[in-house]
Amino acid sequence: MCESKELLVSFLYNEIDPADKRMFERHLATCSECRDELAELGDTRARIGLWTPPDADLGFRIVRESKPSSSARRWFQFSPAWGLAAAAVLLLAIGAAIANLDVRYGSDGLVVRTGWNHGADPATASAAANVTPVDWKTQTDQLDRRLRDLERTMSSHSQSPVQNASTADLTDDQVLQRVREIVGQSESRQQRAFAAHLTDLMREVDAQRRLDLATIDQGLTRLQNSSSMTKDLVQRLAVRTASYDSK
Amino acid sequence: MGGDLDSFNQLVLRWERPIYALAYRVIGREEDARDVAQETFLRAFRALKGFKGQAKFSSWLYRITLNLCRDWIRRERRTPVVQAPEGVDVIELAGEDVPSETIEELVSRHEVGRAVAKAMAQLPEEKRTAIILKEYHGLTFQEIADLLDCPLSTVKTRLYQGLTVLRKQLRDAGVESTFGK
Repeated sequence: MCESKELLVSFLYNEIDPADKRMFERHLATCSECRDELAELGDTRARIGLWTPPDADLGFRIVRESKPSSSARRWFQFSPAWGLAAAAVLLLAIGAAIANLDVRYGSDGLVVRTGWNHGADPATASAAANVTPVDWKTQTDQLDRRLRDLERTMSSHSQSPVQNASTADLTDDQVLQRVREIVGQSESRQQRAFAAHLTDLMREVDAQRRLDLATIDQGLTRLQNSSSMTKDLVQRLAVRTASYDSK
Repeated sequence: MGGDLDSFNQLVLRWERPIYALAYRVIGREEDARDVAQETFLRAFRALKGFKGQAKFSSWLYRITLNLCRDWIRRERRTPVVQAPEGVDVIELAGEDVPSETIEELVSRHEVGRAVAKAMAQLPEEKRTAIILKEYHGLTFQEIADLLDCPLSTVKTRLYQGLTVLRKQLRDAGVESTFGK
């Protein structure tokens, strides 16, 4: 039976058939080698039980990507790039109105005048007539390019599906609800962390208790052995003393 | 479960720490263990329809985690595990007085934990995994055999050999008491 390490392991973990358990217990009563090995393995188990993983902030959650808004809302949703484009056109129009832009196409070709003085002073008017025509096509192309760049920038910085809810799209109640959820989640995380600490502490206490029990058991066994040896010595001494006395 | 996200996240809440602990003890690296644990739940959610309840949900999660750990070990090749050469009896190796890496003297419980971690990292993967599943997750011999796809007797042999090697490693480090020797 000493060779059957599988039986020893089954007994060690108390995952053993009752009949096998009784048989092994009878064997242990007569085999100090197996008894010692069992105690040592139990001691090893107690020590490795002290190994715990470091604390980690887990909080894993599976989230779905936010679904695209319904078609009805699409009419009233403008992407930021469109908003910027509309703002840019508006600014140009305002700027043109302020600059009193005068664009004419005639025998002289396309003539563009700006400013408020070209109609008042003949000298100025003649000077204005000689103003270099503005290349509208080039400026429009430049504006187009800038708008496209802005659009690309906005799309590359778009938020992840997990945090896709812009508060601009939510009502106050919804924002409040969201904040409550976040606070609740934070509290749950803290509670979980505390529970994990408590579990680790209990496991450590239990492991230490098992270790202490194993140590006490070893000490008692040694004491027992020592006491037996002492008893043997005393008996031998008594016998020898008796034999001397008889002489 | 029908893909109910809230219900699944309740399961995640229940199992995230044990799964992380399993990954950490097998891999030995905190951040990578976190990634493996996260990936476990992602894969489990995606494969949920295929889970027919033929095994315990925890066993299914453990299997995903162990497969990911195995992939990580093969991919990263960072494990400090000392693989015993073929034909070498691990028990004989444990009994020999061969020079081994020195583990610093330990005086406190946290140092004992560190020594245990180092000793465990030096075990071959299959023995380390068997001990982790038994000691820290309380699986039965049969559950471990099913997870690792090996016979029951092999599980017990790995446990015995693993504990014996650990006993020697810790004793050499001055951690374990020299009981009766």
